Amino acid sequence: MNMQLITYLIENHAALLNPPISGDLANIYILFASTSKHESAGMKQQEAKLAAFWKELKDIADLCPGCFIFASTGYGSAALSSRDVTVEYIDIQALRMIRDSMISTPAEVARPVRPLGRESSEELALSDRLLSVLDSDAAATPNKRVLAKLEHFLSVKPASYRLGHERAQKFTPHSKFIPICGNRSHTNALASIASIAGNRVLSLDWNQLAGADQSTPGLSRCVQSKIHHIPNLKPQTDKTLGDCSYLDTCHKLSTCRYMHYLQYVPESLVQSVAARSRELNDAESDSKSICLYTRNLCCSVASKSVLPAQWIQCDVRKFDFSVLGQFSVVVADPAWNIRMNLPYGTCNDSELTDLPLELLQREGVLFLWVTGRAIEVGKESLRKWGYEVCNQISWVKTNQLGRTIVTGRTGHWLNHSKEQLLVGLKGQPEWLNRQCDVDLIVSGSRETSRKPDELYEMIERMVGPHARKLEIFGRDHNTRPGWFTIGNQLTGDSLCEPDVQRKYRQFLHTQRTSYGCSSVAA
Amino acid sequence: MSHDRTAPKNSIEHSRKRKSNASLKAAAHLHNNNYTDHYIHTGALPQKNVRNTDNPVEGYPNLQKLFRLKEKQIANHSSAPYGCRLDIDEMVPTLKNWIHNEKIVFDVVMIGCLTDNQFIYPLLTGLPIDKLISKPGFLFIWGSAQKINELTRLLQNDGWAKKFRKSEELVFIPIDKKSPFYPGLDNDDQVLFEKMQWHCWMCITGTVRRATDGHLIHCNVDTDLSIETESTRKSAIPSHLYKVAENFSTATRRLHIIPARTGTETPVKVRPGWVIMSPDVMLNNFDSKRYREDINKVGAHLPIRNEIELLRPKSPVQKRNS
Repeated sequence: MNMQLITYLIENHAALLNPPISGDLANIYILFASTSKHESAGMKQQEAKLAAFWKELKDIADLCPGCFIFASTGYGSAALSSRDVTVEYIDIQALRMIRDSMISTPAEVARPVRPLGRESSEELALSDRLLSVLDSDAAATPNKRVLAKLEHFLSVKPASYRLGHERAQKFTPHSKFIPICGNRSHTNALASIASIAGNRVLSLDWNQLAGADQSTPGLSRCVQSKIHHIPNLKPQTDKTLGDCSYLDTCHKLSTCRYMHYLQYVPESLVQSVAARSRELNDAESDSKSICLYTRNLCCSVASKSVLPAQWIQCDVRKFDFSVLGQFSVVVADPAWNIRMNLPYGTCNDSELTDLPLELLQREGVLFLWVTGRAIEVGKESLRKWGYEVCNQISWVKTNQLGRTIVTGRTGHWLNHSKEQLLVGLKGQPEWLNRQCDVDLIVSGSRETSRKPDELYEMIERMVGPHARKLEIFGRDHNTRPGWFTIGNQLTGDSLCEPDVQRKYRQFLHTQRTSYGCSSVAA
Repeated sequence: MSHDRTAPKNSIEHSRKRKSNASLKAAAHLHNNNYTDHYIHTGALPQKNVRNTDNPVEGYPNLQKLFRLKEKQIANHSSAPYGCRLDIDEMVPTLKNWIHNEKIVFDVVMIGCLTDNQFIYPLLTGLPIDKLISKPGFLFIWGSAQKINELTRLLQNDGWAKKFRKSEELVFIPIDKKSPFYPGLDNDDQVLFEKMQWHCWMCITGTVRRATDGHLIHCNVDTDLSIETESTRKSAIPSHLYKVAENFSTATRRLHIIPARTGTETPVKVRPGWVIMSPDVMLNNFDSKRYREDINKVGAHLPIRNEIELLRPKSPVQKRNS
């Protein structure tokens, strides 16, 4: 029995059966011969040796029936000959058993090694063993190591995420960022030296600032690098009451006894920050124009211009959505009826859930602003429209001072410092640039129900500047290049896509005629 | 961030040149930062820029006083801290035993913590939870946004929807990606935005009215949002989660069930005024007889204190005559 051959077959079975060898006996022989260093021989000898090799294989097959399956490529010959045989299958388990039974002696020699190891570990001093426990963590098990490895593998993001992130960095213009100072002593020191008129800080006296710098070290440096909020002290102001809940949005500024603040940033700081961000943006405009990573975007993304803002004033509940075409992203901020007295008309749940949103997206993303009771109604509606809720973004609303809003009974049971935005995903869009942003927006609150503009940028990073984007229930301040806005509070229409223009004219025409008919009938 | 460092240097030179003017002119327009944009360029997370994370009521001395008074009153009327260490599958039978044999009820029940591998839905459906909670009573359920999303199923179940009213949705935000509360593993490749928050359902059972039930509830004290601070890091469950419940309900019988393994590295601490049921709670000292005695001693509700009544936010009084 050729042990060498058996071992060779066990080790290389996969390579031998797969292309390019595909189990061809002659080739297997040549390969085996090359590993076992047979001297090269003439053709005749080769033929004879192949026959011998074939016989060896057959011996093994006789010893262990079924360990090989042979196939013949020859025609008509009943008995397989060495020339035209291929091996179709090798049962390595069977071969292993043959090998083990043949070399059982060395295996028995190997076995006693293990008890030896155990004895040696028992020889370790108790203290050493305790120390080794400490070394290897409380729950030190091989499982833990495997788990750590698994977690590592799972947390490694594909390169597309990194590239997408990098591209987002290049495409997002640097905005002017100035940190806000949170030092209370600075606020107090500045209150006495700022010259304030007409509820605006005009300037800080340089000499007085230098003087104040003595008592509050670092003040002048901080003033020139951060935003400060300087108390706007009035004769009626009572410092012990603390801050006004409304701060800069307070309507009774001339009588309110609570503290109000004025923002102060030196002109020179704004200019230097602006110059710096302009510099950065200029530097990046080059890398933007030769954007190599265009996955999920159109390939001319850098040179193609963005469509101007488009909008239609209409009652969304009665509008024919098929006029608009398909969109990658839809944003909706419906006026949910949450049983509160709001300064605008609200919609019933059914009016909202009955909107034919399926006409707008075969696959894509829908952003739905919800509040209170509407969180659950919104989730249900998304499911009904064929979306899966995949994220819930929180907008942390901040006030003039960059603090969260904690007063003013903004919610029924608890105060509300955030608003919720549901993100629904329909189908399996391959064209999304995922996870550039986090599911949080920290941004100041503005007029009632006005949402933060940061969302637009997040969406543009996700689908690119040229994807069609629709906002439903939008107002004038929501119109934006690259976006289509519909809502009843918009002023007039503005369209530039010819097919939408045509379909919209048709829609208006049919509406007018149907209205005319009904009025005639009436 | 480099421009932050260079900016002051430039402006100092700048202002020295103009020292003859002897003043630092204010900018003509108000400045607003875009923290989302800042995150894209620097990796500094938006929540890092919230200025009142450490003290949410900064600038409001009356609210600060209210929080201090309430904290003191709650501490003075608390049962001893109790832990009940149990395997997750023993929880439902044990709670059923408490309900049927020991006749214990709680006014505030909190379920879950800030880990993803929780068994909330089976616990809620395997338990006559309405019998465990008194009426009126308050239920807080914490988990990942995904897990909380699954609870919407409960609202379709008539029995549940009739007994419990979902009243608020709370959010907890870890401060950064190194935080023990960062929901990293929850981030599957499918999500469109990296997850940075935990959610909580606050449910009410029975009837309470905001305007008239001041002896039972104190509304609008806390907000529906909290951001992790340095001091929250020390425990498996941020203490803020407990405080919201304590500040809202004046009841002293509080139970926290954690249907999850939180591991040996982040043990669950006990807390005065709470019975905490978890497989990993540090203390296993719950005894129903002693607990009842405790509650009898401190009373089932916090007494009304005028100082607190004056300070806490209240519904505007409606004029009956008009």
